[in-house]
Amino acid sequence: MQQAFELRQGRWQLTLAEEDYGASRQLAAGCDGFIADDEDEQVDDIERSCVNCARRRWLIDAIECTFL
Amino acid sequence: MVRASGLRSWLVCIDDTDDIGTKGTGEIAEEIAHLLSDNHLSRCAFVTRHQLYVHPDIPYTSHNSAMCFQVRTTKSQDEILAIAVAHLRSESAAAADPGIALLDLHSPFEQAPLIAFGEQAKEEVKTKAQAYALAEQLGIHLSEHGGTGLGVIGALAGLGLRLQGNDGRIKGQFKMPGLEAGEVSLSVGEVIELTGVDRVLSDSGEQLCFKTPLYLSGKVKAVYRDHQVSLLVYQDQGRWRNALKQQLKHY
Repeated sequence: MQQAFELRQGRWQLTLAEEDYGASRQLAAGCDGFIADDEDEQVDDIERSCVNCARRRWLIDAIECTFL
Repeated sequence: MVRASGLRSWLVCIDDTDDIGTKGTGEIAEEIAHLLSDNHLSRCAFVTRHQLYVHPDIPYTSHNSAMCFQVRTTKSQDEILAIAVAHLRSESAAAADPGIALLDLHSPFEQAPLIAFGEQAKEEVKTKAQAYALAEQLGIHLSEHGGTGLGVIGALAGLGLRLQGNDGRIKGQFKMPGLEAGEVSLSVGEVIELTGVDRVLSDSGEQLCFKTPLYLSGKVKAVYRDHQVSLLVYQDQGRWRNALKQQLKHY
């Protein structure tokens, strides 16, 4: 089953396991709100990935989506 | 350092200038560096990006990073600030909370507390009051230019991390002939010559010798280690390849 953003404490969060960005890429592929962040702020070599999105907010071991 | 030409070296660091979809802090730092360099590119070689603590209590936009550069100029502190602050104000996003820190590397100052502040800002929540108190104690210029002004925390922390010399990635990527078409094979010596990096460093901290062959592709980026611009590589099936973004994330 594909991992998805979960609503925790009012924030849509995606937990990240180390450098496994599979879910991050799959979710971004189907998202209308993706905006690529500055290249210097990207951490996945596949650009269309939630971890590279300007609308994500980094948390410890997770990202928050501010678009959802 | 003061030279016969009257050039003086400064560290400039800015933080919290952007918002979603606006010009990034790194780009603004690069622009300020060029404005201060009087078109002498050698006077400002590179901008470093320093990752700070990510925590729900810190109101960063998306990643909480500061951008720092060193510049050599004959300008006075007031002249540097006039140029840098004007650009910071005009280019920062309306919703941003920009801050700037400026350090005269020729002036005597205590490095240890500044470095400690930078290291702490990677692991804990710091306050504006703490940043201003330290800046005043050390005689470092620190000022805010809009919004809550919380960017002063990252600006001061970025100075400390740049001085520490073992933190951050170099802004931007290196262009090399043939890279856009795919993989390029070059020796370490050739890569140093083409890019201007100080050295090539393995992901385990080993400095590679000049003749070692490298296989470069995609985005070629460097990190700041031992006060040197270091092209990071890793071994893949017996070949040294430039680090992936996933690997660079840890720097």
